[in-house]
Amino acid sequence: MKDLCVPIPNFSEDEIADIELRVGDQKISYSFRVESFAWQVEDELSVENDDVSASLARIYRLKKAIEGYDKKWELIQIFTPGDNATHIQVLYRRRN
Amino acid sequence: MIKTEELTKVFRTDEVETTALNKVTMEIQGGDFVAIMGPSGCGKSTLLNILGLLDNPSDGKLYFDGTEVSKFKERHRTNMRKGNIGFVFQSFNLIDELTVFENVELPLLYMNVSSSERKKKVNAVLERMKIAHRKKHFPQQLSGGQQQRVAISRAVVTNPKLILADEPTGNLDSANGEEVMALLTELNKDGTTVVMVTHSPSDAEKAHRIIHLFDGHIVTENIKHVL
Repeated sequence: MKDLCVPIPNFSEDEIADIELRVGDQKISYSFRVESFAWQVEDELSVENDDVSASLARIYRLKKAIEGYDKKWELIQIFTPGDNATHIQVLYRRRN
Repeated sequence: MIKTEELTKVFRTDEVETTALNKVTMEIQGGDFVAIMGPSGCGKSTLLNILGLLDNPSDGKLYFDGTEVSKFKERHRTNMRKGNIGFVFQSFNLIDELTVFENVELPLLYMNVSSSERKKKVNAVLERMKIAHRKKHFPQQLSGGQQQRVAISRAVVTNPKLILADEPTGNLDSANGEEVMALLTELNKDGTTVVMVTHSPSDAEKAHRIIHLFDGHIVTENIKHVL
């Protein structure tokens, strides 16, 4: 078995989920954080009526947010934003 | 081994134009194990198809072992693929009318390898993948995990430099998925370069590097292990 799925209700963007596992005699600790970065927002990068520029602006915002993020945390997964979402969720795990 | 410079792929129909890859620049060294992650529609499979010389980019450059291959015609690409690149797909893509042995033998036939040599190589790889006991069976008689082992056998029988795997565990249960990942990791340890597209963070953890693709762009890259 490679994955254990732990449903966490009401896990909001400001929170860190700490998980401790005991596998046999070994104790393993993980800290996970789900961050929300700006995705489709009004800012200096916004261009009206231009889908291509809007797409480039979204990617630029995301890249900058990820590049500047706390290096003590490792990016695990980028989730798909919903249609018309203003923010995009990214899962991080604290590095050992 | 593989280098891309501002690789771009645009799909056009009468009504719509879709940019599947947008100026993707990356480099993969020989012996590397790279995972490419991203949501559906982000360009992962398009990238893999271009790296595997199954398609040409619309713009930008692709180098394979130092040779620029971006504008190769179909025949040229086919010759380059033969013996150099092996493919593993999510839905196995085995030929139902052929036995396990015949499926694995196919790439060697395309390379005009002699009959005795083909037999030796196919039997050796089936033993290694622990599927030799089913060599006379047809794909429909095998479980999903067994079919994927046959698909991996077919991908490696020519001893390629590069294996491209598109969601190799996507249609498998946990146990079979782990087995497939163990096989790919072992092949990589023996020197084969592996590039794998996956949705699974735990499969991606097996790689040296994880590239995150989004809307056709590389957004970030994690280096897990130094080669």
